[in-house]
Amino acid sequence: MNNRGRLYYNILRTIVVAVGVVLLSRLMWLQFNAEEYRERARAHSIESVVEFPMRGEVLDRNGEYIVKSRSCYDVMIVYNDLPKEGFDTTRLISLLDVTPEKFEKSLREARQSPRASILVAGYLSQDNKLRLDEMNITGITTRYRTAREYPRKVGGNLLGYVSEVSKEQVDKLHNYVAGEYIGTNGLESAYEDLLRGKKGVKYYSIDVHRAIVGPYNEGKDDIQPERGLQLISTIDVRLQEFAEELMEGMIGSVVAIEPSTGEILVMVSSPSYNPDLLVGRQRGNNYMDLLHDQRNPQFNRSVKAKYPPGSTFKLVQGLIAMQEGVLTPNMRYSCNMGYKYGGRIMKCHAHASPLDLRDAVAQSCNAYFCQVFKDMITNPKYGSVKEGVRVWNDYVYSFGFGRQLGTDLYGEGAGNVPTPEDYDKRYNGRWNYGTVLSCSIGQGEMGCTPLQMANLAAIIANRGYYYTPHLVKGIEGRDSIDARFYERHYTMVDSIHYVPIVEGMWRSVNVSGTSRTAYLPGWDVCGKTGTAENNKKYADHSTFLSFAPKDNPKIAISVYVEHGGFGSAIAVPIASLIEEMYLTGKVERPQLVERVKNAKPNYRLYDEKQRKYDAQRNK
Amino acid sequence: MISGYNISSKQRNSLFGKVDMVAMFLYIAIVLIGLVTITSASYDPESDNFFSLSHNYMKQALWIGISAVVVVVVLLLDRRLFHMFAIPSYVVGVGLLIAALLFGREVNGAKAWFEFGGFRVQPVEFAKIATALMMARVMSDYSFNIKRPIDLIKVGAVIMLPFSIIVLQNDTGSGLVLGAFIFVFFREGLSKYIYFPVIYTAFLFIVALIFEPVVIFTVLLLLFAGYSYLKHGAFIGHLRFVLIILLASILLAAFTSMSGYMALMISSLLAIVVLLFFVFKTHTLSLLWPIVLFVYAMIFVPTSDYLFTKLEPHQQNRIRIFVGMVEDTQDMGYNVYQSKIAIGSGGLVGKGYLEGTQTRFNFVPEKHTDFIFCVMGEEWGFIGCFVVVALYIALILRLMRMGERIKEPFGRVYCYSVAAMLLLHVIVNIGMTIGLMPVMGIPLPLMSYGGSSLLAFSLLIMIAVRLDASTSDNDMSMGV
Repeated sequence: MNNRGRLYYNILRTIVVAVGVVLLSRLMWLQFNAEEYRERARAHSIESVVEFPMRGEVLDRNGEYIVKSRSCYDVMIVYNDLPKEGFDTTRLISLLDVTPEKFEKSLREARQSPRASILVAGYLSQDNKLRLDEMNITGITTRYRTAREYPRKVGGNLLGYVSEVSKEQVDKLHNYVAGEYIGTNGLESAYEDLLRGKKGVKYYSIDVHRAIVGPYNEGKDDIQPERGLQLISTIDVRLQEFAEELMEGMIGSVVAIEPSTGEILVMVSSPSYNPDLLVGRQRGNNYMDLLHDQRNPQFNRSVKAKYPPGSTFKLVQGLIAMQEGVLTPNMRYSCNMGYKYGGRIMKCHAHASPLDLRDAVAQSCNAYFCQVFKDMITNPKYGSVKEGVRVWNDYVYSFGFGRQLGTDLYGEGAGNVPTPEDYDKRYNGRWNYGTVLSCSIGQGEMGCTPLQMANLAAIIANRGYYYTPHLVKGIEGRDSIDARFYERHYTMVDSIHYVPIVEGMWRSVNVSGTSRTAYLPGWDVCGKTGTAENNKKYADHSTFLSFAPKDNPKIAISVYVEHGGFGSAIAVPIASLIEEMYLTGKVERPQLVERVKNAKPNYRLYDEKQRKYDAQRNK
Repeated sequence: MISGYNISSKQRNSLFGKVDMVAMFLYIAIVLIGLVTITSASYDPESDNFFSLSHNYMKQALWIGISAVVVVVVLLLDRRLFHMFAIPSYVVGVGLLIAALLFGREVNGAKAWFEFGGFRVQPVEFAKIATALMMARVMSDYSFNIKRPIDLIKVGAVIMLPFSIIVLQNDTGSGLVLGAFIFVFFREGLSKYIYFPVIYTAFLFIVALIFEPVVIFTVLLLLFAGYSYLKHGAFIGHLRFVLIILLASILLAAFTSMSGYMALMISSLLAIVVLLFFVFKTHTLSLLWPIVLFVYAMIFVPTSDYLFTKLEPHQQNRIRIFVGMVEDTQDMGYNVYQSKIAIGSGGLVGKGYLEGTQTRFNFVPEKHTDFIFCVMGEEWGFIGCFVVVALYIALILRLMRMGERIKEPFGRVYCYSVAAMLLLHVIVNIGMTIGLMPVMGIPLPLMSYGGSSLLAFSLLIMIAVRLDASTSDNDMSMGV
């Protein structure tokens, strides 16, 4: 070999070695950064599948199920994995119980994103799921869910419902994934955090086609789902059912509270709906029906409505006046079919006259309480009517009116208690006691939720204090509920002043008065009717506030029926029957039940609204 | 040649005694490592019969058996046969390529395959052997001188014939392998006036894709000024010259609406005219070189941009991804992206045999053929990669050494051809799996799954070994 050849040989050898060095350097650069690449490899070779837990169930105060969870399955399709040679679609469609059109639609959707899991049908029963598994079609998978089931089918707007989270909720709430269920309205929403349980995750190794190859890391990193907690509600579901039955066809509300604890025994907002309607395939249609119903069945009137309390509010006026020293139980005022003031008259009905406080309560005399309220707010010690109203405001607030009570439900209404500022604004600063006078008998600007009224019944039953009303008395695995429900709230009126008021309520039922229908032998029922005027074109609202027995009361109740006429007409029998049912466990006055069921309040107002609304929609 | 490598003829009395054991060892090691890796790439844990011939690794094992037989046969052949068969095999090889082009089967867009039963054969693999033999035959001719234009045209034709058919088959990647012969030409003393422009053109082509023309020409200007300074001194003078050009172009760009690139071109052209005048006046002909190269670049850079647009879209994309113009993880760049993840995630010692998630779950495409190196990288880590690269480099160096040892040009040219082709395959294949090279459908020699490739490389290498084993034969005078 000549020298030139040797030179070329050496140059070429150097090039070959250089190539090796370059390749190895690049390999080092890649492989000494292994963690970064391992992370990337993990990211696309692992699929996490969320496993939904069983949602917590709800029992009533006697251990009966109000809300149950039943297993069901979502059926998902991955278009690319479907067998190429086709499959038995007819059988599949019948198993899934969907229309061929809907199935076609899902298939089209699946074809557009052929690797994604597309929901074809939800709420597949356990049996059908097994049959589907037997068909063994690749590309069709099921996902465990729980659906709600309501053995007594009561309490629609009280319990709320579960729905799939919206996209906005997923963004806002974190911790939720698309397709997950979330409690909406009522108890479901209020106790969402406890009921939902904890999601589990299963990790799978997947190949490049996103097909599952097997469990990742032998399932060691999987997280088991934890089922939601069971709640024990304060509701007596049998009583609730009975109350809903009585309220059938009426618009209004029934709230019953156990005075010694603040536990809500019954909470009916009528019209209600069968909660099963908002579960399952037909949910969407049913939901729209409820939405278009102008009687607004989804609106929980018990905690959200703002009703004038009517005569039941006289109790509060009497109590405040006594505390402020302008009234003693034995004071008598005469009544001549009404109370005249400044050229106007507040009408009253026919009854004996003059009456003392007890009988004025029993007979629900308007004139008496107008006088009492006037004496109260025009008391010279306040200096002005404005100041008088302000003092009166503080008292009324202490009874839980004009503010949220702080129950465990969301969206509680506050009602309305008019303040001097409200009147100033409304009357340009020029108003006097006469302007305010309608408040004395719970009319005018006064507005309360039925819950606040039931709470008033509980306050009187307790002679001056209440526990914040609540719907849940026990949580699985915890020995107490929120501390705020164990706290007594005293009103600004001393206990002693409640005695004549209770006496008047007792007389109203047991001796002579507006509430005689509520008489239950041996149970010392106390009550106060109310008849709230509203639009003159329609019948008055009928309301009744009651508790029983007089000593150691077990139940305090408020019934409010919109446009039900006189308090005694509908509200009293309903309340009385519920009390009878709760106290004795049975109902022995079938004729009274008949009377309630035959009572058909006239809802022209709502019917007209519905007609207009439908006409608008059809256009 | 290399002193200290004189093995006495006594030790080389039998044929197998004369066979280069180092090359044999390297060959066998690579083939077996390949088989083990293919087994991992195509292992199916659900198959009940590990030894079923439906598995790729069992097919490969079968091919290894066939290759072993061929190897023994080749080693037993008289070395003169290769010399004699050079021309006929070249004719047959080219014929097969044409036949594949006309009647072959299209796979992945390339009409370059024959199919017999379940087996597919790619004639280009055998054309490589034929071309190497033919090249050795032509270049070992007594009157051959690579510096003579007529001889250069001869060898050029030997390469261009199969190359053009392969390109027509739409298998440009395989065709580029024939470019490896420039390595051989260099060894045989190719004039720098030939290979330097080739390298320069390739350099310009890649640079033109990555950088803006203005940048390229500014750098070139500085480079040539530097070169001229080294040759003639007078640093300030050269710097001043370059600065004047740059300043002139900046002014041009600033005061007219023309782009910086155009301004630079015009001022450079003016400067070149001045320079040429200077060159001919003072007879400093060495300055002509940089001027010619610069003018060539001025013509080539825009042309290559234009030519680039004439490439097939997928080729354009591969090149764009390769030069880093596009960060693509989905379509074209997907393969390289996944392959880099596979190798990178292997780390120092790898994930363990049969444990690679990237390759096992098909994230890396063609994992048992073109991307077999990924399986190695993922499961055996840097250690495995190091061993494989080292084995290849050692084999290539060994082949070159064997070439130098053979006293007659036929053997030397042949050995260098094999070494060059091996080197190119290794660079392109491993380079593409680690993102250094654009993706081309070129297998990793001896390791990738595929019968024709394995057989062809076995033949290629064993012919070299056989030629080397004849070094001490007495009847060396053949053809002389």
